[in-house]
Amino acid sequence: MKIVVLIKQVPDQGSKAGVNADGTIDRAKAKRMLNPFDRYALQAAIHTQRTYGGTVTAVSMGPPPAVEILYEALAHGASQGILLSDRRLAASDTLATAYALYKTVSYLGDFDLVFCGLQTTDGDTAQVGPQLAERLGVPQITYCEWFEIQDTKIRARRVIEGGSQQVVCPLPAVVTVANSSARLSYKTLRGAQLVQRLQRDEVLRKTYIQTVTLDDIQADPERCGLKGSPTIVAATEKVGEIGGNCTLYQGKGPQVLVQELLTKVALREFIQR
Amino acid sequence: MTRQVLVFCEHVAGEIQPIALELLGAGRLLADKLGAQLAALVLGHQIPHLGQVLIAHGADMVYLADHPDLNLYRTLPFRRVILDLLAGFSEAPLIVLLGSTTTGRDLAPRLAAALETGLTADCTELDIGPYEHTNKSDPTKLGLYNNCLYAIRPSFGESLKARILGPWKNPQMATVRPGVMAPLPIDTARRGEIYPVPVQLAATDLQLIVAETLRDLSEQVDLAKAEVIISGGFGLGSAEGFQLLHQLAQSFQHSAVGASRKAVDSGWIPHAHQVGQTGNTVRPKLYIACGISGAIQHRVGMDKSGLILAINKDASAPIFKFAHHGIVGDLYQVIPELIQQVKTRTPSQELPYAVAYTL
Ligand SMILES: Cc1cc2nc3c(=O)[nH]c(=O)nc-3n(C[C@H](O)[C@H](O)[C@H](O)COP(=O)(O)OP(=O)(O)OC[C@H]3O[C@@H](n4cnc5c(N)ncnc54)[C@H](O)[C@@H]3O)c2cc1C
Ligand SMILES: Nc1ncnc2c1ncn2[C@@H]1O[C@H](COP(=O)(O)O)[C@@H](O)[C@H]1O
Repeated sequence: MKIVVLIKQVPDQGSKAGVNADGTIDRAKAKRMLNPFDRYALQAAIHTQRTYGGTVTAVSMGPPPAVEILYEALAHGASQGILLSDRRLAASDTLATAYALYKTVSYLGDFDLVFCGLQTTDGDTAQVGPQLAERLGVPQITYCEWFEIQDTKIRARRVIEGGSQQVVCPLPAVVTVANSSARLSYKTLRGAQLVQRLQRDEVLRKTYIQTVTLDDIQADPERCGLKGSPTIVAATEKVGEIGGNCTLYQGKGPQVLVQELLTKVALREFIQR
Repeated sequence: MTRQVLVFCEHVAGEIQPIALELLGAGRLLADKLGAQLAALVLGHQIPHLGQVLIAHGADMVYLADHPDLNLYRTLPFRRVILDLLAGFSEAPLIVLLGSTTTGRDLAPRLAAALETGLTADCTELDIGPYEHTNKSDPTKLGLYNNCLYAIRPSFGESLKARILGPWKNPQMATVRPGVMAPLPIDTARRGEIYPVPVQLAATDLQLIVAETLRDLSEQVDLAKAEVIISGGFGLGSAEGFQLLHQLAQSFQHSAVGASRKAVDSGWIPHAHQVGQTGNTVRPKLYIACGISGAIQHRVGMDKSGLILAINKDASAPIFKFAHHGIVGDLYQVIPELIQQVKTRTPSQELPYAVAYTL
């Protein structure tokens, strides 16, 4: 089984580092982390490899520090990692990102399954997975929360509004993994030891983690970055300051505050209908 | 061919879904601003009745594909029919809208990639307006564009909205969060044309089989229909806090309990109760936020509510920036008091009416 998992490094929103006063993110200063949704995809990939055999290649597109999450994938049991890093990718929207990732996956050769996270916490679109499937010309299973492989098919349960759906689909396929799927298990001892060795041994590192540019994967730079992106963020607007007409009740005991509120607001209307 | 705004309309077994009507409402506004026609697109099996339903809800025309292989939503057959339909148009639609549902989010990116066009996810506002592109790094994009789709959505970080544009290529595509846009009042006298859509599927389109579909609607928390929503956040401190909220909810008719993501992530209440960007979008008549700070991702799911009350012990919490009334205090002191006073303030002569209503 040839398994590919797409993972992205995102700014850590939990830490305040790198969050500007206006709410924008300074990506250089922000702490970085593996996209939380991609942990489920990584688990799905490693589970597939352990259960059915094969290799897991973790693929990421991002600036050089994104290599950190490839180490993390190796520590969890992935077989190898590949980082697509190229300045010409800056400002890629989902269409351009999906194109670049498609070229990276194709560069790796044949595959049986590509796992993606449901969405990223920074891009937050859930679009890259299906767009990649379209480029690869294979079927997709989105919102997957459980699956098993039967011969050359995958049987999967996907989440839908108010329930779930079981589908059976031939491989190869792209699967986006829901966050109701299995949680990422612990790093393996062997994986953690490997990562320690790789951090010291550059020659060995190159056999496990490859860094490629657009030229290496023969991607058309015109279809990447700003040029390859049909959409742009034209403006951002702070929403926190809108409104400001809130009547506040404070500085007294709860009994008095509730009394004051109920004289101002006719809640009765909602009780009685 | 008059230019079109095209809306993909979802139904479940022939029953039109609220998101479809909401998209028609939004699409109508956009089409009117553009002087374009509003076209509805619906795919399924044995659904001829849906044509008139969609017209009554604002469509000028309906493209209707009726075929056994379209009975249940599947990515590739739906993709094929829609791409074939668009390929037959002399001009691409100006705008294509889908819902941010498990169906819309599955289908829209696939279509956008095939059409090589832009797609903005999970919009909470849409508008039409001008845009001048002055960034010279790509000269092919320079210029003034008069009628662009403004696709507006919450952005990364706590309190930013982003306006995303892609006027260079039609269709300009967006998915829209359920529960955000207002449907039009139904008008059964409206007339419009219904066009059957030819269906020609390739064998590869049919490889994925739906083995089983389970929908347990009784288990669903119907936040969308509730008129009063009592929501709890991380400030509750524990799962037990939700019992207090349920008690408060019982003081109201047609009420339901909601939650912030932090409360859901803490395991205090199932995800079905979550309100916000990655949960439900609601617009009840009354929304009471208890121990919720009011992050943008929560706010976009509820700020269209009729009346917003907030209970929070921190007077500087962002929720007080957009609530209508706020009590600064400990929710464990304020809510029991509220339950008590709401009860005693109810004039007893109105009670029989309330009982009759519930029956
Ligand atoms: C991609 C993305 C999607 C997201 N989607 C959603 C979403 O769909 N819905 C959502 O809600 N969030 C979502 N979030 C998370 C959001 O950013 C906030 O983290 C979350 O809404 C905070 O939840 P909270 O208000 O309950 O918790 P907190 O921010 O921790 O606020 C708790 C509040 O309770 C108050 N409090 C504490 N104790 C008491 C007391 N005894 N009495 C009264 N008040 C008290 C505190 O003053 C504080 O204001 C998303 C985030 C991201 C990045
Ligand atoms: N830069 C990237 N590198 C690797 N995978 C990515 C990247 N961007 C998106 N993905 C994958 O696509 C999924 C959806 O991302 P998004 O469309 O940004 O919400 C993610 O969970 C990842 O699996």
